[in-house]
Amino acid sequence: MSAGALRKGAPRVEHVLGARLRILALLMVAALLAGTVWARLAYWQVLRHVQLSASAQAQYHELVQLPALRGVIFDRNMTQLVVNTTVYSAFISPDQIAPAVRDRVAGGLSSVLGVDKAKVMQTLESGKKFAYILRRFPQAKADQLRALKLPGVGLEDESQRSYLPGIAAGSSLAANLLGFVTYDGQGQRGLEQYYQQELAGTPGYISSYRDLANREIVLGSHTHQDPVNGSDLVLSLDANVQYQAEQALADGVKKANAESGSVLIMDPATGGIVAWADYPSYDANNFNHTDPSLFQDNVSSYLYEPGSVMKVVTLSGAINQGAITPSTVINDPGYLNVGGYRIADWDHRNHGNVTYQYVLDHSLNVGAMKAMLAEGHAACYSYLKGFGLTQPSGIDVAGETSVALPAQDQMSDSQYATTAFGQGIGVNMVQMLAAVNVVANGGRYAPPHVVERVGTTVNPLLLKQQRQVITPATAQQMTAMMEDVVQHGSGWTARVPGFALDEAGKTGTSQIPVNGQYTLDVWASYVGFLPANHPKFTMIVVMRKPHVPGSDRDWTLNDGYFTAAPVWQKIAQAMVVDWRITPE
Amino acid sequence: MTSTRILTQRRLGAAGPQHVPARRRRRTRGFVQVAGSVAADRLQLNAYAHAYLGLGAALVAVLFYLALAAQVTQSSYDITRLQDQQRQLIAEQDQLRYQEVTLHAPAQVQQSAAQSGMQRSAPVAYVPGQPIAIDLGAPAGASGTDATPLWARYLAALVNKVGGTRDVMAAGH
Repeated sequence: MSAGALRKGAPRVEHVLGARLRILALLMVAALLAGTVWARLAYWQVLRHVQLSASAQAQYHELVQLPALRGVIFDRNMTQLVVNTTVYSAFISPDQIAPAVRDRVAGGLSSVLGVDKAKVMQTLESGKKFAYILRRFPQAKADQLRALKLPGVGLEDESQRSYLPGIAAGSSLAANLLGFVTYDGQGQRGLEQYYQQELAGTPGYISSYRDLANREIVLGSHTHQDPVNGSDLVLSLDANVQYQAEQALADGVKKANAESGSVLIMDPATGGIVAWADYPSYDANNFNHTDPSLFQDNVSSYLYEPGSVMKVVTLSGAINQGAITPSTVINDPGYLNVGGYRIADWDHRNHGNVTYQYVLDHSLNVGAMKAMLAEGHAACYSYLKGFGLTQPSGIDVAGETSVALPAQDQMSDSQYATTAFGQGIGVNMVQMLAAVNVVANGGRYAPPHVVERVGTTVNPLLLKQQRQVITPATAQQMTAMMEDVVQHGSGWTARVPGFALDEAGKTGTSQIPVNGQYTLDVWASYVGFLPANHPKFTMIVVMRKPHVPGSDRDWTLNDGYFTAAPVWQKIAQAMVVDWRITPE
Repeated sequence: MTSTRILTQRRLGAAGPQHVPARRRRRTRGFVQVAGSVAADRLQLNAYAHAYLGLGAALVAVLFYLALAAQVTQSSYDITRLQDQQRQLIAEQDQLRYQEVTLHAPAQVQQSAAQSGMQRSAPVAYVPGQPIAIDLGAPAGASGTDATPLWARYLAALVNKVGGTRDVMAAGH
């Protein structure tokens, strides 16, 4: 090989080496680039797989809750007291509304929904993703809004409870009994709260997919669970009687210038509540704009001292015990010293020798105390228990309040004495009415309740045997005594035309204690049943702090016979007509 | 000892692995393949034509699938729209039910009655009733006798005949 050839060969080798190096370098660069891409791919597809797939799922997959239809509530005549209606809420997506159309959108929303246009404009300019414009308006407005086809405006439908109108604007029928349902479907107060679980049902769900335009692809793969609708409630309530009671009560409270009043009517045989009225009340359709103090239900959540109505219980116990009879004669000097206290009759008069019939007719405290002493503390306590005054009534309405009596041996003599005529003992109206109803029901305690059926299931209370508290003979004797109260005693203001000889009742008035001292303010009440021997209803009316004109001179004008009994009479009169009750 | 069968297997040994799958292929050929091959023989199609045919068939299948998917999607949109309509109708129904219930509500009835000038009346008196004992098991008695004198009956018959009057049924039901 020549030197020239060698000289020519050296650059060729260098050239080949250089080319190889370049190729290698290129390969390395390519590998590096590819490696970078692969690494990035691995990062997204392997390391971030879980988050990304979840994010993708969230974009096209949707889990929609299917709300269960809340059960409705019927009265005893299957009149619907509550209806589920659909209401609409309007929302906007400000970030999706072009500045050019904002004015049109704000104008449209303002004209249909009556909202302030300037406020809507302000929301539109905020650039938010979502904002409500108005919540819970009726379908008519929703239809108008839909017709405008405003961009970026949406409608959301929601279910709402609608209650029947009450006696006046601003009240709905039986509001304090029924309660209401909040926007998130939670029953509050009354039956809506007590039967929340039964009424609400169980929501279902649907899991489906949506396309880019957010339209549901129904036929795509999805899972579906139907909701279980809530059960309907059938009450023992009578809507017509309820209305009459509310109207008479409102008139009575206004007339007596009272702070408030309540009426409770019961079916004597079953304990089913026929009417449950409070005044003042509220409009459950407009609960979110209501003074919360009006939500208070004074029938079951308010404790009061029943006063002389309690004498029905005391005398029934004593008669049943054989300690007294209606014709037993006692001496009533107008006061009695018990446990170191001198306790007087309401009129502070010496009545001399009187029968127990006279005691009840004229509501004498001394007679009641003597009856209690005749039967003894132990028997008195056991009858208080038997009549259901030592424990809650167990009524199926949320928020019952009661106060337990001290143990039998822990009650002082004076406590027994005042309890005999209904002072110093706190009860709610349900407890008191159920106690007096024992007399109307032939001596048996009918457990008070409002709901007769939940769906197709009958309230088990209706199937249980009622406990016998006093004998039927005692109940009959007490009925006769209560009839006499209407005919010759303080119950004369409750006489229903045609039933003067067939009506049983008892007035009650008790002073309201404030800071341990009794004041001149009173709870005035009247309880009775009609017809006396085969009663169709038992009713109690309570007035709180009545201030009848002229009562500052004569405080007895605030008594039950003058304030509560006329309301009782008015409602009873209406029931006689509505229920076609005839005297016997 | 070597049996004839084993010898035969040995003789066929070299080509065995090729022949056996061929026999299997024949067994697994379906109607379409057979028909296809027959058609190919008759049409004298070459391998490319087979490939084009296959591709065409696949394309048709894909198009068919796409058309079906589009139809399904469209149907699903229709269902969504109908569901929306159904919701609106249910809402209207609820509203009507509330109106109906409200119309029968005591407050509304009272108001309507008052507007019509009606007012709730109380019974002013109850008439005392005497209980009457009726023996439903007792036999029915003889029918009552007509106490009209005989002459009066004849006179009435005569007057009716002359005057042309007839007994009539009492009006009404």
